[in-house]
Amino acid sequence: MKTKNPVPRSFLLLLIGGVLGYGLGVGLDVLVTGQLDFVAPLAGLFALLGTVLAFFFGLVGYWGITRGLVFQVVGTLAGGLFVTGIRALMGLPAFGGFFFSEPAWVFGALVGGLASLVGVGVVSDWFKWAKGEQTPEHHHDPEGYVKYFGVSLDHKVIGIQYTVTALVLMGIGGLFAMIFRTELAASQLQFLTTTFRVFDQNGLQFYNTLMSLHGIIMIISILLGVAGMINYLVPLLIGAQDMAFPRLNAFSYWIAVPAGVLLVSALFLGGFDTGWTGYPPLSTRSPVGIQMFFLGVFLAGWSSILGGLNLLATVVRMRAKGMTAFRMPIFAWAAIATSLISMTATQLIGLSFQLVMFQRLLGMGFFDATKGGNPVLFQHMFWFYSHPAVYVFVLPGLGVISELLPVFVRKPLYGYRWVAMSSLGIALVGFLVWAHHMFASGMNEYLRVPFMYSTLLVAVPTGVKFFSWVATLWKGKIETPTPMLFVLGAILVFLLGGLSGPPHGTISVDLHLTDTYFVVGHFHDTMFGGYVFPFFAALYYWFPKATGRRMNERLGKLHFWLMTPSFLVLTFGMMRVGLLGMRRRIADYDPQLGFDLAHLIMTIAGYLIFISVVIFVYNFFRSLKHGELAENNVWNSRSPEWQVPSPMPVHNYDRTFEVVGEPYDYGLDGSKYVQFEDETIIEVEKIKVIEG
Amino acid sequence: MVHVDKKEALNLGAIIFAFLAVLTVLEFFIAITIGAVMLLVVIALVKAGLVGYYYMHIYRLNLEDESAHESYGYKTGTNRLGLWLFLLSDGFVFAGLAIARFNLLGLTRPHLNQSLGLLVTAVLLISSFFMNRAETSMEHGDRKGFLLGISLTLVLGIGFLLGVVGVEWPQAIEEGVTPASSAAGAIFFMMTGMHAFHVLTGVILLLVVMRNGARGLYSGEKHWAVEAAAVYWHFVDVVWIFFYPALYLIGTLLA
Repeated sequence: MKTKNPVPRSFLLLLIGGVLGYGLGVGLDVLVTGQLDFVAPLAGLFALLGTVLAFFFGLVGYWGITRGLVFQVVGTLAGGLFVTGIRALMGLPAFGGFFFSEPAWVFGALVGGLASLVGVGVVSDWFKWAKGEQTPEHHHDPEGYVKYFGVSLDHKVIGIQYTVTALVLMGIGGLFAMIFRTELAASQLQFLTTTFRVFDQNGLQFYNTLMSLHGIIMIISILLGVAGMINYLVPLLIGAQDMAFPRLNAFSYWIAVPAGVLLVSALFLGGFDTGWTGYPPLSTRSPVGIQMFFLGVFLAGWSSILGGLNLLATVVRMRAKGMTAFRMPIFAWAAIATSLISMTATQLIGLSFQLVMFQRLLGMGFFDATKGGNPVLFQHMFWFYSHPAVYVFVLPGLGVISELLPVFVRKPLYGYRWVAMSSLGIALVGFLVWAHHMFASGMNEYLRVPFMYSTLLVAVPTGVKFFSWVATLWKGKIETPTPMLFVLGAILVFLLGGLSGPPHGTISVDLHLTDTYFVVGHFHDTMFGGYVFPFFAALYYWFPKATGRRMNERLGKLHFWLMTPSFLVLTFGMMRVGLLGMRRRIADYDPQLGFDLAHLIMTIAGYLIFISVVIFVYNFFRSLKHGELAENNVWNSRSPEWQVPSPMPVHNYDRTFEVVGEPYDYGLDGSKYVQFEDETIIEVEKIKVIEG
Repeated sequence: MVHVDKKEALNLGAIIFAFLAVLTVLEFFIAITIGAVMLLVVIALVKAGLVGYYYMHIYRLNLEDESAHESYGYKTGTNRLGLWLFLLSDGFVFAGLAIARFNLLGLTRPHLNQSLGLLVTAVLLISSFFMNRAETSMEHGDRKGFLLGISLTLVLGIGFLLGVVGVEWPQAIEEGVTPASSAAGAIFFMMTGMHAFHVLTGVILLLVVMRNGARGLYSGEKHWAVEAAAVYWHFVDVVWIFFYPALYLIGTLLA
């Protein structure tokens, strides 16, 4: 059927859709306000929606994701108009500053998000069940790339959907960072000035919006990237045909798509200036954009919750024969620890944001001190999720390090059981440390010391991992293809992130470091070391498994050697200016502080990181078509997924396997991890022949 | 899976209900006489434990299943684990709300209609009793008993919703406890609202299960949907077992 490459057509439609959407938005804005405003928020919003819609229409036609987006737009308008009508009947002001009033936007966005799920078709099986109809266990996916744009129940397809969405969001979040990093390159305001005006925000407000959105979009991107790795890998590693609940799995992915759209739409609805933490009372006074941010996080949170639930059920119930707890791959352990956190704690961030949402909509006084509320309560609820969340981000990455290291060192993983347990240890201790984010918040002082000690305790299981990695490297035959480079980079960068952590955990030091760039430097080190580097390592490592082709080594090495030094310069620079007194989350700083040169260097480093990621994206798409064909077991791994052809067969393992040995016994003679069914048969037949 | 005969199972459900009813009355009288908070917490925990073990049969998570991964039995086991994980996750929302309540109000409580509170609590508890009968009947292949039990559950569930949202809310607003009046009002409407939303979803699930049950889609061996709806319904009841004392019984009355 496919005769022409649809990509050029999609890009053309992307332009047309953007222009048409922009025109529609400007027109609507003129209708409501009576003034011609070329940077009206509505124009931006509709331009964005038109662009996205047209792009997917060009690429896949009216199917799956396109239908979901159309349903989301129509649902938002319908929900918004419904509330607007009710308000008009009740005699309240029907329209607000951004066309709809705030309650209308909130209700519309919620209806739109749910409508999008109906549009995509991810809930149709459940509706059929409710009607008493049976649905087939396996749906047949269409051939080619089209299957990635619609509902698929195959965990491999969903894993790739997650991963690519994560990369797209990473691109958007990175772009935002580039904009405000450029503004920071020199003191004084250069282009985000007070006279600058876009989407109803001046330069400083726009800076705040970009900074806040950079935070939350990157966090959602990381959550999706983590889910991508877990979804693709865990069923393969434990020898399952699929996840325990394939439909729920598809639902978890597709609810994240409207969530992403909502987050980006905050940019056009006045933005928000709270940072990704959304503390009241500031968040109760922000523009409507903050409600889109709350709703986006809420929907993405459900993705995370249901994904975690699914993973736990999968690992408990679907393991291959002989795969006892301590013969599971380390990555499966890491996924369990991550899922335990994301399944439970995520509810608390959802609840805390809901409470602020209701406080804004109905005047409920949860965090309003004049009504007997308590703003610090919000911080407790928020950080009860948001601290363990950083372990959701890094644990799978640390699992990838432990998973790949033995392959490229050709030596058993040192202290397997300790490493497996350390993931759980980090997850459990992680639940007890949240108030270390609040040492300066005015919470009860007697809470500080216990939280300081529990925070420092995290270093123990993390240290176990480091000792294991160093001991595994010790006297190994180290090879350094691109994935291994990223693993080594991850260890280095995460070490820096880890070492810069205890100063924050110690109350006396933290009171001085609170809200400085030192925190920003520490955080970026942990996120890059714990997630970004291992994520790239995993992409380079399992790319042949997913596609049957290898990524280009030379470009991969260029990516690594460009990104790593630039990143180190960037975060060392952040920590340096932070120690010297640079506050975080501000658009400008005093030239007298003498930070200009440092910031200029950091900005250049930031651009280099961006370029290195562009190289990665180019390599990714180029290798899809022109990459070197990969043999069955490119990295000479013991893991079961490498014992079958690449790309992975549709139903994973045609022959079932049994686990007969330890997972990481590299370099030991005659040791075997998995035994496939027919191998046993052959051996039995051999014995029969001998006996005969 | 079923080891006891039907009559015995139904009797057990009735005995457990009698315990729950006595404990609820006890709880009410402790609250209006000595007001011992720890005692109220202990009673709530005991009630939750009874419902969790006998009505939600949490022990079934431990059932060993040697059958093939593709069999109905094994899949039901997986589904059961998934459902319980969901309840654990959902429990964090309610726990968060309860913590918010004690953080903001401490040992004080808003002025509410006590007799109405006791009435809706009783209605929800009785609905759990009938849900248990419905599920037990289905386990023994008794479709008539199932339909009777589930329709009574539905009536009582809708009665609870009407009691809370239709009567209690307007009354509270009339007495000046509105969402915007104070933190106490906000907490009251948020906790009851979140719980009522879960009751509503439970009612929808029960309607679906009742309709499909009436059409004969479930049997004594294959009725996972019935079990799931029942466990979810009892979970919503367990939440109320904690929310009722938290809102109505614990603490001194706010002026």
